[in-house]
Amino acid sequence: MRSYLLLLLFVMAGLVVAFAPLPVQPIMPQERTFRIEARQFAYSPSEIEVNPGDRVTIQLVSTDVVHGLYIDGYGISVEADPGQSATLTFIANKSGSFRVRCNVTCGAMHPFMIGKFTVGTNDWFYRSMGLAMLGVVSIFPLSSFLTQRKKKEERSGAGD
Amino acid sequence: MSRIELTGNPFVKSALKNRWPQLAVFIVMLAGYLFAILAGLVGTQVGSHNFSIVFVWIAWWAILILVAVPFFGRGWCAVCPIPLPGEWLQRGAVLHPPRKKPKWFNLRWPRAFRNIWLQNISFLLLALFSSVLLTTPNITGIVLAGMLFAAIGLSTVFERRAFCRYLCPVGGFIGLYSQTAPVELRIKDKQVCATCEGKPCYNGSANGYGCPWDVFPGGLTKNTYCGLCMECIRTCPHDNIAVNLRPFSADLARPSTRMDEAFKAFIMLGSAMIYAGVLLGPWGALKDAAYNVGTSAWFIYAAVFLGVIFVIMPSLFALCISRFENLNAFKKRFATLSTSLIPLGLMFWVAFSLSFVLTNATYIFASLSDPLGFGWNLFGTANVTWQPMLTSILAPGQTLALVGGLIWSARTAQKAANEAKTSLIPVIVYCFITTLVMLWLLL
Amino acid sequence: MNRSELLSRILITAGIFLAVGTPLLFRMRTPIIHAHMAENGGWSPEIIQAEVGKPLQLRLTSDDAMHGFAVGQMDMDAVDVEPGKVTDVTLTFDKPGIYTFFCTRWCGLNHWRMRGTIEVSGSSADSEPVPEPALSEVAVPLYVTLNLDIDAPHESPIIPSGQPSTIRGQQLAADLEISRFNNPDFYRANSPYQLFEELDSTDLSDSEKWDVVSYIWESNTTTEALANGKQLYAQNCAACHGENGAGDGVFADDLQAAGEASMQTMNGSMDMSMQTPVDFTDSKRMLGASPALLQGKILRGGMGTGMPMWGSIFTKEQIWGLIAYLYSFQFEYQGEIQ
Repeated sequence: MRSYLLLLLFVMAGLVVAFAPLPVQPIMPQERTFRIEARQFAYSPSEIEVNPGDRVTIQLVSTDVVHGLYIDGYGISVEADPGQSATLTFIANKSGSFRVRCNVTCGAMHPFMIGKFTVGTNDWFYRSMGLAMLGVVSIFPLSSFLTQRKKKEERSGAGD
Repeated sequence: MSRIELTGNPFVKSALKNRWPQLAVFIVMLAGYLFAILAGLVGTQVGSHNFSIVFVWIAWWAILILVAVPFFGRGWCAVCPIPLPGEWLQRGAVLHPPRKKPKWFNLRWPRAFRNIWLQNISFLLLALFSSVLLTTPNITGIVLAGMLFAAIGLSTVFERRAFCRYLCPVGGFIGLYSQTAPVELRIKDKQVCATCEGKPCYNGSANGYGCPWDVFPGGLTKNTYCGLCMECIRTCPHDNIAVNLRPFSADLARPSTRMDEAFKAFIMLGSAMIYAGVLLGPWGALKDAAYNVGTSAWFIYAAVFLGVIFVIMPSLFALCISRFENLNAFKKRFATLSTSLIPLGLMFWVAFSLSFVLTNATYIFASLSDPLGFGWNLFGTANVTWQPMLTSILAPGQTLALVGGLIWSARTAQKAANEAKTSLIPVIVYCFITTLVMLWLLL
Repeated sequence: MNRSELLSRILITAGIFLAVGTPLLFRMRTPIIHAHMAENGGWSPEIIQAEVGKPLQLRLTSDDAMHGFAVGQMDMDAVDVEPGKVTDVTLTFDKPGIYTFFCTRWCGLNHWRMRGTIEVSGSSADSEPVPEPALSEVAVPLYVTLNLDIDAPHESPIIPSGQPSTIRGQQLAADLEISRFNNPDFYRANSPYQLFEELDSTDLSDSEKWDVVSYIWESNTTTEALANGKQLYAQNCAACHGENGAGDGVFADDLQAAGEASMQTMNGSMDMSMQTPVDFTDSKRMLGASPALLQGKILRGGMGTGMPMWGSIFTKEQIWGLIAYLYSFQFEYQGEIQ
């Protein structure tokens, strides 16, 4: 009986770790500008970080062929020819870590031309770490729960 | 262990025994495979708009790693077209065994190679060139054609499906992971096999061919080497073979002690992590190194790749589980405990593939209408623009897969450690750390 | 062999034929022009045949990055040539001759070398045969007529301290007799410095003279020409010469590196090897250059440097507009250059 409760506790803990809202540190939103150079097949800088609520301007400068810049999660994009840089301005209202991808076919490794855009902290990663820890520890009550259930089944089977 | 016999249903059984449904699937698969080869060689060399890249590395790979392997084990092998032309030649027939069998060499596969080391190597060969392979249509076309001709050639020299059993790079890991699947092919009653004369399931009969996978169905205890080709169901005169539904990862309750399989687990675990870092990460220098085959950067990349897989990961594992004992006992424990890495490896590949597939699935719609990049528009979808799909569920999905895999592997380790009379903590620590690394690489 | 075996073999063979035959058949029947980055071969084929009056249907695709297609000195909108997709273009030619087609979207350092020719044969639509133009009537670039050595240095000895302004110049010029200078013939044949010198006869200060130069320079063009020039610059020049004209475009470093490695030099010396792109904000060089000299450079190209030749691509009108825009890096023009 006890392991059943313990297991339930783990599941609840898992839900808390996954979904409980974290206290948000209020930081004044700023204007942030980034000049990102795109080449076959990488961005430079390839990782940028802002705070939630910042007004972000990305100036895309292509240095060899026409490239694009698309932000997962936001679904916005911009494209630039070499010699004609383009800007994308938006408010970083979604927190987390988002992949930045090229959305103009620019050569063989185009599907893997990827950067990273982080707004605030990568909460989901830390939650996942927590879930992994919980998961690993939970196998102990899980196994005793399963063996107890098995024993119960065998007992009731033998009783018939 | 509770099992539900799927072949107990007469419709299922006749569908599997009848050669026509299988043939229909074979024809579609073979035509698709040949079309992919031609598309790769003759169509546009822009990968994202070529049928060979889109339908092999996005569509087929997605179905394989997300559906076929986790739920059907070696289910892909059941419909794979690669062995077919060679096998038809070898058998002298497409359907039932002919009266006159053709005279091929039918050699036994050499003893020294009757393991999965060649498959480990062939998988690694593809993996080292994967950046070029995944993005270049004519290379994909050549590799697909190469596998087809290798299978045909081997079928004319060796008996049964030598390519499938001992060479196919895909079969190596499908076999390993099929141990976790909820579908199996097993005999119903051992006694029936004991008294069976001639063993037509292995030697063939007028109704069908002997197991092309060089497996004796009567002795099948794990999914690893059974390709679900259904020949034994056709040949067994005692109706003693069944396809069952069973709990997940049933085979891992009896962990293997083979080193080739143990290293396969490390190959798959390590390459998933390297792929996640190189292909899905933001580090351009790594991608350059991986793509520019032949440069010194690529040689360093290849050396690091092989080093991680053959040296770093296995030796860290060995260190974790080490204790004072003789080499043979240690090898046995090493192999036994590394089977707990199997569910984790599968989930690593699921998590990695989810990102790649959801990001690029829209290419499938465009490619359906213009498979060769010739400007066709067969179904009106040729101009569907690239747009990642379901991005909001990607991160949660990956976490679910990885944490689920971790728990699954930890449970497997628990049982394996119990059997090997050893502590499970080191294995769990190893799984936990690799899972954290994978989470960091993907999220 | 029984019937079912025969049937199955027929089905298999049919499937194989379809799968293998379809791509091969359509490959043979689909003549497509492939665009590659110049480093990978450029256009293939790069010579196309056509006939006067007969519509030429072209199918274009790219095998690597985004390219574009246009025909020089022809009134057509450029089309994008996208990787893995096919663009259809139909061209009709009125006059025979050799036309140059070129890539219109930057695709690497050697993007401008991505050119091909369309050889149009046949006779004009006119019933009368086109007479051979007399040698004296063949369009000769102005710098040749003026006997300008466009490779010689052209530094202005005096440069303004601030940016000359057209608005101030216009006010100052109201009291001056400038009809001698305020016409295309003078404008095209003289550098801003030469006009500055001519203004010595007035009693204006140096900076005031530069303001008048700015005014006269802007009056010799139109807002529309400047706007077109700006667009032409952004699409064709900025990648090397910089979005703000400072010679610091994205390919400037590569040009310098290529030059140091390049064997191509004029006169066998290193003098002209792959220079870095000209800085149009450099007053010494720009104010000493006449529009005719700039036109010469643009038409003829850099002869061993990375500067392309544009003679077959842009019309005279387009080039004068571009040149007028180049001077706007020196002068504060009053028109809004859109």
